[in-house]
Amino acid sequence: MDIGDCYVGWATDEDIRTRGASGGLVTAMLAAALEKGLVEAVVVLKKLGEFEAVPIVTSDPEEVKATAGSMHSVPIVLSRYLEYGTKVALPAKPCDARSTIEQSKRGQVDIDTTYIVGLNCGGTMHPAGTRDMLDVMYKLDPEDIKGEEIDKGKLIFETKDGEEHAIKIDELEEEGYGRRESCQYCAVNIPRMADIACGNWGVIGDLAGKGTFVEINTDKGIAILENAIDAGAVEITPADDKGKAIREKVDGAMMKVAAAADEKYLSPIEGSHLDYYMNALSDCINCGACKTVCPVCACGEGAKCTEFSSASDTYKMSLFHLVRFVHLMDSCIGCGQCTDVCPVDIPLTHIYRRFAEPMQEEFEYKPGMDMTTPPFFGVDLIEEGH
Amino acid sequence: MAEATAAETTGTDEWQPKIVMFCCNWCSYGGADSAGMGRFQQPPTVRVIRVMCSGRMDPVFILNAFLEGADGVLFSGCHIGDCHYVNGNYKATIKYKFLKAMVNELGLEDERLKLDWISASEGERYAEVVTEFTEQIKKVGPSPLKPEGVV
Repeated sequence: MDIGDCYVGWATDEDIRTRGASGGLVTAMLAAALEKGLVEAVVVLKKLGEFEAVPIVTSDPEEVKATAGSMHSVPIVLSRYLEYGTKVALPAKPCDARSTIEQSKRGQVDIDTTYIVGLNCGGTMHPAGTRDMLDVMYKLDPEDIKGEEIDKGKLIFETKDGEEHAIKIDELEEEGYGRRESCQYCAVNIPRMADIACGNWGVIGDLAGKGTFVEINTDKGIAILENAIDAGAVEITPADDKGKAIREKVDGAMMKVAAAADEKYLSPIEGSHLDYYMNALSDCINCGACKTVCPVCACGEGAKCTEFSSASDTYKMSLFHLVRFVHLMDSCIGCGQCTDVCPVDIPLTHIYRRFAEPMQEEFEYKPGMDMTTPPFFGVDLIEEGH
Repeated sequence: MAEATAAETTGTDEWQPKIVMFCCNWCSYGGADSAGMGRFQQPPTVRVIRVMCSGRMDPVFILNAFLEGADGVLFSGCHIGDCHYVNGNYKATIKYKFLKAMVNELGLEDERLKLDWISASEGERYAEVVTEFTEQIKKVGPSPLKPEGVV
């Protein structure tokens, strides 16, 4: 097994295979990592309801197996749950993986003991927004929903009486529902920065729906997959070229959609920029939630943004936000959590992206993709000849 | 130039900008001294704050200066290659790039922020930089971020 190899795999356990998405490979792999002692803990998502899940840390393989099945949650801020150096495996959307890598750069997570099992992601939906959408767009009671599915560009909800209700995602997003805004313009769909990238794109023929496409990205990725094979928990077969091509095609199509959304949402501000930002930030109640959830903020209590600003400031703009703007110019991964948690609905991710995108482009630096230091801190002095 | 500025500073009603200038201890602050000793005329618009190195410049300082009512912020250090701390001024250029982009996106005029290199012997240049920057700020007028009640 080498870095860059692609396989299609599935769980050997009948129960995991049927309950888990795409053959339950990820669930089986995580459980096997725990059983064989490759890791001490696994972070999984525990379902709270049809629309919500919370990340939990567990050392019990049975609990891992119980969480089989696809579920989305907010990006995981790993350093909040675990002590530095804990051997851990976690399933991760691209933004989870990127946030974990960024935390490792800041000394919050030990990347060498963290196995990131990447999951393809085409976007997530906010639980509260989804309830609203069901009410307004589908005219359904959120409590009646049994399952959800995306097929051929349509978002399909299945109600308890077995009926399916479908509306085109484009239509939903036109109305301001559907995927979170930050997901709509996120162009990272396949988590190649993770140790191993898993997903159902590129699984074709008889295996469609029953297998998971796996791409090995690092030595740790080899370790966790081989461990699962040795334990007899999963079976794999090399992926064929047609599958690989289809996966690339899906990725390319998603990236095109993201680029269009990027243009739509992040079009230049008309009129005065200053008025726009002052207006947007004028509602801020200084709760600090955006900083608390931010996966790339490792500043802790004595952070510059909070230390130098106070609620009694009479400035025209909050220094807290201005400092965060600068901070996030080189490190924002666009996960969208700040917008999610803001109690007064300031479109923070949107604003951060406005500042971050031009700079990240200029420095050709995309945070969270590898262990490269951010330009703000990483002055390459030798290259510059000083 | 020198006469014109001198006339302006003596009792005309023209609006005078407030400029915060950060000078590094080893070069630019010495440059300010040289300007004084050489009696080079310069407008009294600048409030100098000494920092040990231009690399010490924190974006917070500059943002806070604007919020407190500065119409313009100048920051200055040793010429590239002359830094007392080897590469502090190089670090300053990186921060400057970020701050410049930030100020532009925020909607403040591009002219309000400037980074320049002034060595300890360049008293005349110090006076020139200050005079030019003051003229520049006078053209764009008071800062829109100035708090109410601050002149």
